[in-house]
Amino acid sequence: MNWLRLRRLWHPAPLKRRYDTVIIGGGVHGLATAYYLARTHGIRDVAVLESQYIGFGGSGRNTAIVRANQRTPENVRFYAEGLKLWRTLTDELDYNLMFFNCGNLNLGHSEAALNGFRMAASTHNFLGVRSELLDPQQCAELIPGLDISDRPAFPIHGGLYHPPGGIVRHDAVVWGLAKGAAAHGVHIHQGCEVRGIDTEGGRVTGVRTSLGRIGCNRLGIMAGGYSTAVAAMLGIELPVHPLTIQATVTQPLKPFLHHVFSSGAYHVYANQTLKGEIAAGAHMDPQVNYTTDATAYYLKHQAEALVDLMPALSRVRFMRIWAGLADMTPDMAPILEGDLGFGGLYLDAGWGYFGFKSGPVAGKYMAEYMATGERPDILRTFQLKRFLENRYSGETAAVMKYGHWD
Amino acid sequence: MTFRLTCPVCGKRDLYEFTFGGQDRGPRPEQEGLSADEHFRWVQFRMIPGGMGAGEDAGPRAGGQGQLQHEWWYHGQGCGVWFRTTRDPATNREVKDGGGEG
Repeated sequence: MNWLRLRRLWHPAPLKRRYDTVIIGGGVHGLATAYYLARTHGIRDVAVLESQYIGFGGSGRNTAIVRANQRTPENVRFYAEGLKLWRTLTDELDYNLMFFNCGNLNLGHSEAALNGFRMAASTHNFLGVRSELLDPQQCAELIPGLDISDRPAFPIHGGLYHPPGGIVRHDAVVWGLAKGAAAHGVHIHQGCEVRGIDTEGGRVTGVRTSLGRIGCNRLGIMAGGYSTAVAAMLGIELPVHPLTIQATVTQPLKPFLHHVFSSGAYHVYANQTLKGEIAAGAHMDPQVNYTTDATAYYLKHQAEALVDLMPALSRVRFMRIWAGLADMTPDMAPILEGDLGFGGLYLDAGWGYFGFKSGPVAGKYMAEYMATGERPDILRTFQLKRFLENRYSGETAAVMKYGHWD
Repeated sequence: MTFRLTCPVCGKRDLYEFTFGGQDRGPRPEQEGLSADEHFRWVQFRMIPGGMGAGEDAGPRAGGQGQLQHEWWYHGQGCGVWFRTTRDPATNREVKDGGGEG
């Protein structure tokens, strides 16, 4: 029965009092950054501090959808590279991330939405990213059960199909990256809550945690929805609003839904997991908060939206509901910054609901940024100072926009 | 769990009757001598108090000065009044701050 014996993916390391680099947040972004720091840049004296357990935050609460059909060329390029990483990472980490390359279909419910799709598809195709416009009949051929008649509250006018996207098992990404990082010497400390950040002469010198003080030369804040609270320890204000976004899964069904579909008008996206459940989101609560509260209001909205688009789901039961934090910026683009007024301080935040799919690629470039001190070209568009210079990203014009916030 | 807010006209009502109006930032800064930098900081940059709201047993919360947030709400699906109230972003609950006009 040797094959039954479980082997640990990684082992806890003793907590040292000092590391070269400390990363706050044991999610996809923090673990990916640590992994690339150790693997690509040879910086192995790295600790990842996670206040709960790895993958507790957004990394384990998203609906696992990956895609690169953003609006602006800078973002499309960035996410397109991210999409390519899933394949190589599975090999590199020697861990199955279960990338299911099923493609994404965004539904448009007005002529204005279709015009948006046309512009988006042109941008994608220009950059070598596959996207194509579908008419309602083609949408129904891709996704049987979709109601393309005039009956729904928002009838389907067409769709934007994006074949390179799909779903990835999000827990596997967290575990795989932890395995890879630990194999290269990174220390991962769970249950280690950061309570303060020490600085001296304008440089970060360490963090005060629930497990005592830990010194460091470089510090990365990669705490997802909690990044605003961590940055506040240094008195840093951010244009980031942490909002809860909710998701749910239904009881398992036979495989029938072979693509991710989503609709901005209905505020819904859905896919069938490899277990057969329909995983669906998304409702965003409007008020900034750090809770993971789920609500009955959302469940009702989710049921209405799913059933209106796909009437066959009407008697399917929801099994679980949960919420996670989305760190929203005013322009729907992230903040990847090493120029925050403190030497050695780096920030990777403001992902909105794009944090999961961007994890590995953001980690790759944040590792380069932290290792060299030089901002990689691809990150130039994600500087914090754009908000002070009135140079917002055009990403708010994206076809997938699920809500508004302050 | 959802929660209720206290409308000054209608009393305690369900969250989803209201629209969030954002943090109460005080009066808009004087236009005279206002730099672009200060203006954009006032418009977009926030210190969101609170931190991990992961449960009763979570440790002392990280965050900015003070744990509560003063904010604006609009009772759009009720009487239509704009009002101020105080809420704890770590627990989502409205907190009585006494004396507020909310």
